[in-house]
Amino acid sequence: MSVYAVNKVCRRVVLDQAFREWLRTEPEAALRASSPPLSEEELKLLLAGDVGRLARMGASHFLLHQLGRFELLGLTLAEYGRRIRREYEAERARWAAERPS
Amino acid sequence: MAELVSAAGVAHNPFFPLIVRDRGPGAEEIKRLYREVATRLEASRPDTIVVFTTDHYNAFFDVCVPIFAVCTAERASGPCDYPQLPQFEVELDSKLALALQADLVAAGFDVAASQEIPLDHTILAPLGLIRPAMDVPLVPFFVSGSIPPRPPARRCYELGRSLRVALKRCPLPRRVALIASGAFSFEVGGPRIAEDSHVGVPAPKWAEHVVDRIRATRVDELIDEITPAQLERAGNASGEILNWIVMLGALDRSRPTFIESQPEHGHAFATWSVA
Repeated sequence: MSVYAVNKVCRRVVLDQAFREWLRTEPEAALRASSPPLSEEELKLLLAGDVGRLARMGASHFLLHQLGRFELLGLTLAEYGRRIRREYEAERARWAAERPS
Repeated sequence: MAELVSAAGVAHNPFFPLIVRDRGPGAEEIKRLYREVATRLEASRPDTIVVFTTDHYNAFFDVCVPIFAVCTAERASGPCDYPQLPQFEVELDSKLALALQADLVAAGFDVAASQEIPLDHTILAPLGLIRPAMDVPLVPFFVSGSIPPRPPARRCYELGRSLRVALKRCPLPRRVALIASGAFSFEVGGPRIAEDSHVGVPAPKWAEHVVDRIRATRVDELIDEITPAQLERAGNASGEILNWIVMLGALDRSRPTFIESQPEHGHAFATWSVA
């Protein structure tokens, strides 16, 4: 249920311009007002822009990357990519080793 | 009686319309590929276009995700997720959508109906390049290829076969074109993104293989190869291939009149004429 709340924040970023600007100017207030409510851990991770950890928890990649697209919570698309690659570094190394040459 | 007259498979990269508008790198190639589709679509003189696509959390979000769904509204607009793209308000063929849903449900496919859906880039980015006048009503038909659990490829193929039968049984006089929207290998924001981007094409060879299978009408082999593990390797957007599989089900192993891939993007363009 909580990951659903994270997904919903990300979706509002795409479709709700007023929410997007509120998140940009008062991130904690905007997140605390979200419905359904975020857990304290999710709130902390969103404020930190920790998309890697949020992805591990099951938040949708399609939706999380919108935070980078709209340059919110300290993210850009480039920074989003860096954080996801860092989070999945071990898996990416394994996939690269498995790839036929 | 409704009649299937043509079909096409297309990519829906949301930035392609902007590249074309701004004459950016690759614009001529993009225009050429969409023009191939547009020319053949125009020649088939469709009254309605059924568009198979996957929701990107825009139409249904994950409040309630139907495995298959059709939009039965009379109008819709968008793209809701990329306001910088040309915006359209489009007429939908509500009567045909309702008729298809009824027939498919009777045939054993649990197709949901939504009476209000915002259209996203998966439909309007390609159609804006193919038919910018937006003068042919649409039937948006959703396949849950992006939000798990995905329907099996075989199920999607059988849905397409039943849809062809439903069209033959439909009393509405319609010349119907099918368009399947989506890529074969693509990753958005997930672990398999490229080294220098937030997106990636994890399995370009798989995408080429899909094209080879379609070109050779080796559809049964392709269906067997579309396993959950293969889709995971190909990227979190690779379930869009299921839109093509539904369309292929309606085409009964016809050979495409045109097919060309862009392996660097993990997608392809193809057309079929239906006698």
